[in-house]
Amino acid sequence: MLGELLNPYQLQIICFILINIILGLSIYVTLSSGQLSLGSAGFMGIGAYTSALLTINFDVPIFIGVIAGALAAGILGLIVGIPSLRLQGVYLAIATLGFGEVIRVFFVNWESVTKGAIGISGIPNIGRELFATFRDAGFDPDMIGLKNNQFVYLLVLIILLIINILLIWFFIRQNKSRVGRAFAAIKMDEKAAEAMGINITYYKVLSFTQGAVLAGFAGGLFAHVMSYISPADFAYNRAIDILIFAIFGGSEVIWGAVFGAVFMTILPEALRFISEYRYMIYGIILIILMAYRPQGIIDINVLNWFKKFKKQKGGAVHDSGDQKHN
Amino acid sequence: MILEIKNITKNFGGISALTDVSFSINKGEIFGLIGPNGAGKTTMFNMITNMFAPTSGEIIFDGEQITGIKPYQITDKGICRTFQNIRLFPQMNVLENIMVGGHSRTHSGVLKSVLRTKSQRNEETKLRGIARDLMELVGLSNYDEVIAENLSYGQQRRLEIARAMASNPKLLLLDEPAAGMNETETESLFDLIKKVQARGVTVLIIEHDMPLVMKLCDRITVLNFGKKLAEGTPEEIQNNQTVIEAYLGSEEDDDIA
Amino acid sequence: MLLEQLINGITLGSIYAIIALGFTLVFGVLGILNMAHGEIFMFGAFVGVVVTSNGGSIWLAFLASIIVTSILGLLLEVFALRTLRGKQGVSHLAPLISTIGVSILLENVSHHLFGAGNHPFRVAFAEIKFEIGSVTVYLVQILIFVISVVLMVVLSLWLSKTKAGRALRATAENLETASILGVNTKKIILLTVVMASALGGVAGILVGMSFNSVNPQMGLSMGLKGLAIIILGGMGNVKGAMAGGLILGLAETLVVVYGDSGYRDAIAFIIIIIILLLRPQGLFGQKTSEGR
Repeated sequence: MLGELLNPYQLQIICFILINIILGLSIYVTLSSGQLSLGSAGFMGIGAYTSALLTINFDVPIFIGVIAGALAAGILGLIVGIPSLRLQGVYLAIATLGFGEVIRVFFVNWESVTKGAIGISGIPNIGRELFATFRDAGFDPDMIGLKNNQFVYLLVLIILLIINILLIWFFIRQNKSRVGRAFAAIKMDEKAAEAMGINITYYKVLSFTQGAVLAGFAGGLFAHVMSYISPADFAYNRAIDILIFAIFGGSEVIWGAVFGAVFMTILPEALRFISEYRYMIYGIILIILMAYRPQGIIDINVLNWFKKFKKQKGGAVHDSGDQKHN
Repeated sequence: MILEIKNITKNFGGISALTDVSFSINKGEIFGLIGPNGAGKTTMFNMITNMFAPTSGEIIFDGEQITGIKPYQITDKGICRTFQNIRLFPQMNVLENIMVGGHSRTHSGVLKSVLRTKSQRNEETKLRGIARDLMELVGLSNYDEVIAENLSYGQQRRLEIARAMASNPKLLLLDEPAAGMNETETESLFDLIKKVQARGVTVLIIEHDMPLVMKLCDRITVLNFGKKLAEGTPEEIQNNQTVIEAYLGSEEDDDIA
Repeated sequence: MLLEQLINGITLGSIYAIIALGFTLVFGVLGILNMAHGEIFMFGAFVGVVVTSNGGSIWLAFLASIIVTSILGLLLEVFALRTLRGKQGVSHLAPLISTIGVSILLENVSHHLFGAGNHPFRVAFAEIKFEIGSVTVYLVQILIFVISVVLMVVLSLWLSKTKAGRALRATAENLETASILGVNTKKIILLTVVMASALGGVAGILVGMSFNSVNPQMGLSMGLKGLAIIILGGMGNVKGAMAGGLILGLAETLVVVYGDSGYRDAIAFIIIIIILLLRPQGLFGQKTSEGR
């Protein structure tokens, strides 16, 4: 019966959703300090290529490869982020867009390392490696009524889910703390934040680098889930996709990015028949959103409405320890 | 002397905003900085908080040269300010605004915050306590969750003062706190600033409300066209001929900054 | 050969300059970066493809392109940009994101209308060339250069001498003041966007003439290059756009000749990054106290 419930195609979609949530978080985190970065695709690519190359060429275990990829993206994020500090809004967006394109051009041209436009295939796959471990321990998916590939996808899904939960928890905690207040203050009024003793340089670079690390991390995971990457995976289209997660879903609250990633991953699948017109629809969505609801679908009012709704249904109290409570 | 302004000159391109201004403030005083519009008062504030550097001259706070250190470090040293145009964090609530003011007195970084270590939790509780105490001080008790931009004008001004006080300053700079206030509000403001002084904080205030200034300040410096015109007690200033002329004269010209 | 490469560089640079002018006009007056400009330019180029492959003359192609791109500019202003103006609390990023929306919409529409891949752009006199000593110059290259220079001169004169041009400059300086002084800012803004888009249309035909083929990817890459140029030259600065365009054209050509041609596209982006870091106001721009 379990086997009937778990359609491998749907499992795969959920895996994409979970990776996209991490990407949505990456752009949200930089937005939360008032910086719009359009370079997430570039950082994602760095994470993907770093991890792929390490695991293939140096037999590095997958989870180390992914972490190395995230760190590489983070270091690059630092390098890009520090000088970019003085750039306000639009200029930063363009600089990061330019950066993303430079990265892609390097991926395409540095053929000796990256194999150029052909891409890298045969990347070790998280699911299959785990499956092999289970197999060696004597476990057979048949035992719980699953086919091999269902089991593989299920494993990947569970790992991604755990990662997602940890990351969302991390950032919710950070938001409700001194660090989160500093980010928000910088976003709302940088000069006033500075006058209140906040080291804007430090916090802006911190938020930018966190975004880069997240995108790199997602890239590494992407590489080991798809087992094949090419420069086209990290081009302008990808940057737009990621941007839409946050802008559509809700750029001011973390659940906005989560919602946006979920919705915008499912939508093209559910509306397969119009997938050709996907970007047309994205374009129209962006135009209409900016005109009528620039903060995205989920904003603080929507969240408060949900909280009230939950309270009416039996008064669940969160253990959030934050001051939004009386 | 807690603050020494020594021969400060500030030029913007061809315009001289301040020329060779000197004065000192004693610890525990309420010191007034007055003068017609465009006299250079807010420029002086901006330099004390290091938003930009003086063209020449020195600013010495608590015995230490502070010209040239970063603005956020100024708050560390014990100087904090409010703004002429009210610069609260509009979408944060009252409690959060004040807690941001306390940023420089707290230390938890990313790791401690995410793991909610004991020291971090204690720090947050303490900060919340300080914030609530300050809310009471400025008359905004129980306004915890009110969003700043929904407050009335007078409430916003008082919130700004509470926020600056959260940094536990030795010197508080108030930039036209009474602007737009009616008589009752100005009375409460007077009481508030006196209470701030009673807590041991030195206050430097820019104001145009003359009755308030004369009642409140221990000493006053008058600026006009970027130069220091006079300095003294409220009585001395009220009877100073050049000051009277400067104010009467400037009423005839349009107030051009 | 170096001379021929230089001529190539100048030809390319002139086209870049025209595209950059479109960006700079909109930025100067509206204070926003029109990310859809590259796609409008590409649309113009495709209109040229359609006209020339159906036997139309190059001049008909110019006309058709100008008309189509002007209409696109009008639609952009009326439906995307105007709705954002005068709304409270809209972040300065909203117009940028809105134009990104328009750009991906246009890119996808053109994808469906014209199809992917390269489309040949036939120019009747593409083969005509002149031999000056050991150097070969094509009529097409001369034409491109001349058209660009004429456009730039006409634009500069129009901006400085005509009433409408001065009104545009006034609006660029300060929207509110211009409005108070009696300038019909709504009309001027519309005129600016339409003009900028028409310039993009002209550039599209020029590109078709120069490369003999057009593909949908050009929109994004030209768009980014146009951005690079105005950042290099100083945003809102007409002379800067022209100088910047020439510089980029020459730089790219030299990279292809002396370096690795694959990295040609990276030049523009690297320029963007370097200039933004070292001299954000560009070579000719004035330092503003706060970026827009």
